[in-house]
Amino acid sequence: MERIVLQSEHDFLHKLEELVKSGVKPDNIETRTPHPVHHAEDILRMKPSNVRLFVLLGGLAGIATGYLFPSLTALDWPLHVGNKPLVGIPPYTVIAFELMVLFGGLSGFLGLMIEARMPAVRTIISNDEFSDSFEIYVKKD
Amino acid sequence: MEHKAVATSASSHPAAIARLQIERDVIMAMQKPGLMYWGLVGLFATIFAVLLLGTWAALIWKGIGLFGLQNPVGWAFDIINFVFWVGIAHSGTLISAVLFLFRSKYRSSFNRAAEAMTVIAVMCAGMYPLIHLGRGWFFFWLLPYPNQRLLWTNFKSPLEWDVFAVSTYLTISVVFFYVGLIPDFAIVKRYTRGFSRHIYSALSLGWVGTKRQWRNYNMLYSLLAGIAAPLVLSVHSVVSWDFAMGLVPGWHTTIFAPYFVAGAIFSGCGMVLTLCIPMRKIQKLERVMPIDHFEKLAKTMLFTSMIVGYAYTIEFLLAYYSGNVYEFGIFKDRATGYYKYQYWGMVFCNMIVPLPLFIKKLRRNMKWLFITSIFVNIGMWLERFVIIVTSLAHEYDPYAWGVYHPRWPEWCLTIGTFGFFFMMFLLFCKFLPVVAITEKKEEVH
Repeated sequence: MERIVLQSEHDFLHKLEELVKSGVKPDNIETRTPHPVHHAEDILRMKPSNVRLFVLLGGLAGIATGYLFPSLTALDWPLHVGNKPLVGIPPYTVIAFELMVLFGGLSGFLGLMIEARMPAVRTIISNDEFSDSFEIYVKKD
Repeated sequence: MEHKAVATSASSHPAAIARLQIERDVIMAMQKPGLMYWGLVGLFATIFAVLLLGTWAALIWKGIGLFGLQNPVGWAFDIINFVFWVGIAHSGTLISAVLFLFRSKYRSSFNRAAEAMTVIAVMCAGMYPLIHLGRGWFFFWLLPYPNQRLLWTNFKSPLEWDVFAVSTYLTISVVFFYVGLIPDFAIVKRYTRGFSRHIYSALSLGWVGTKRQWRNYNMLYSLLAGIAAPLVLSVHSVVSWDFAMGLVPGWHTTIFAPYFVAGAIFSGCGMVLTLCIPMRKIQKLERVMPIDHFEKLAKTMLFTSMIVGYAYTIEFLLAYYSGNVYEFGIFKDRATGYYKYQYWGMVFCNMIVPLPLFIKKLRRNMKWLFITSIFVNIGMWLERFVIIVTSLAHEYDPYAWGVYHPRWPEWCLTIGTFGFFFMMFLLFCKFLPVVAITEKKEEVH
């Protein structure tokens, strides 16, 4: 594996473009950067992260729980107060909204852990560090 | 915490030098605190332990009858402080999430401190419902589970919504705060040795900045910002509905939700300035927290001050226009009655004091900003006092009107929470990076 260390974002992007143009498969290129470099994702033709699906599914589960849970409990012991409907959609919307955010956020965090392979126990216990330079690793076929 | 003299080999590239400078400025702020610093932490810890925990113990021992509460005001400092601290918390998420979505650059100076403030302030707020319960160990009665007769909690009650709103807000704030910290923990790991290195290494979850990590991280961060922004609006709206859903004159109004949200952002901006101005000076962060960014925060504070001022004015007009004698009666009483000093104090602190910030020179004057922020904090606390106490003290029947005088437990708890808040913030300043390092680095080209 070849390791290229660069000091600026500009040089890093330039080198990446050069490598991809020279025929290196984007999958064979691994990078480490001190901050996110959005243009690099385009050069390496990376697909959008699946974390969004985790957030979406978590959010939908939250909405479903937020409406179903209060509704079922209200139907479990019907208490009619002031001729109001037993199952009140507007008040349950508040619960549904809060649970959408809660479940969406938590499942998104779980998604990050799964998709980014974290916690990376080997890195935690090793001396491998998050460096301040832009590094490119090229895997040989 | 110990530091390595030089963490990485210096490069001659200007961008690399600038990045290293940011790292060092922030890491230097985390250096071992001096005796004075620990003394200050000790002082706030003592205030917290003696005044808050001591009073809480007394309230458990003797009962909440120690409060000055009696008819008609049965709900005062506990809910005032709850709303005050939830309000303070809001600006943290606003600065972090909303400014992230708008791609505002001045966010990067404050977002970490503001997020820490959010988490600590929600903890402060969360204490009050527990204190007010009297028997705090029965806190789980608030949670949605059926009682012995299998009757569930009332999900149509704003107080139950509050349980969902505040606990969601605390959880999501912690997640947002932690996710933002992950890359910075990895940087701190590089600068530390010994036991602390293991701690920071574990907290960084093995972050090294690979393309896979950044891609997923960015997606989560944007989505968290996207869901946290409406969460801020919803949480304080729910807090306002605790009042607005009640048929108490002065509370039962539709403008409460936006009025509370604007007030929360206003008070939060005030508290961010109160915390960040001394922090910038003590931690020598002048380079990473430029005055321009403070000026922009001052503009946000001025803008929200005017929204709050508008709400104070329009409330009077609405009460008059409603033709409801009870509604207008309470507003006249606020301005001229027993609590008029608190009312006019609120108007002075929140509407008048921020006005000089229209002058650019004053917006860039740190001392002026700091003093203004203190007034805003006091003013916003008074606002909650005025809304809650005056309305309850002056409801429908003149025979049932009354006045409320806080007694020592109320004051001790209030001051004790400030002790907890400042103690936690001082600890945050020394154990966590106070400025988002990777975000600051992103601005370097």
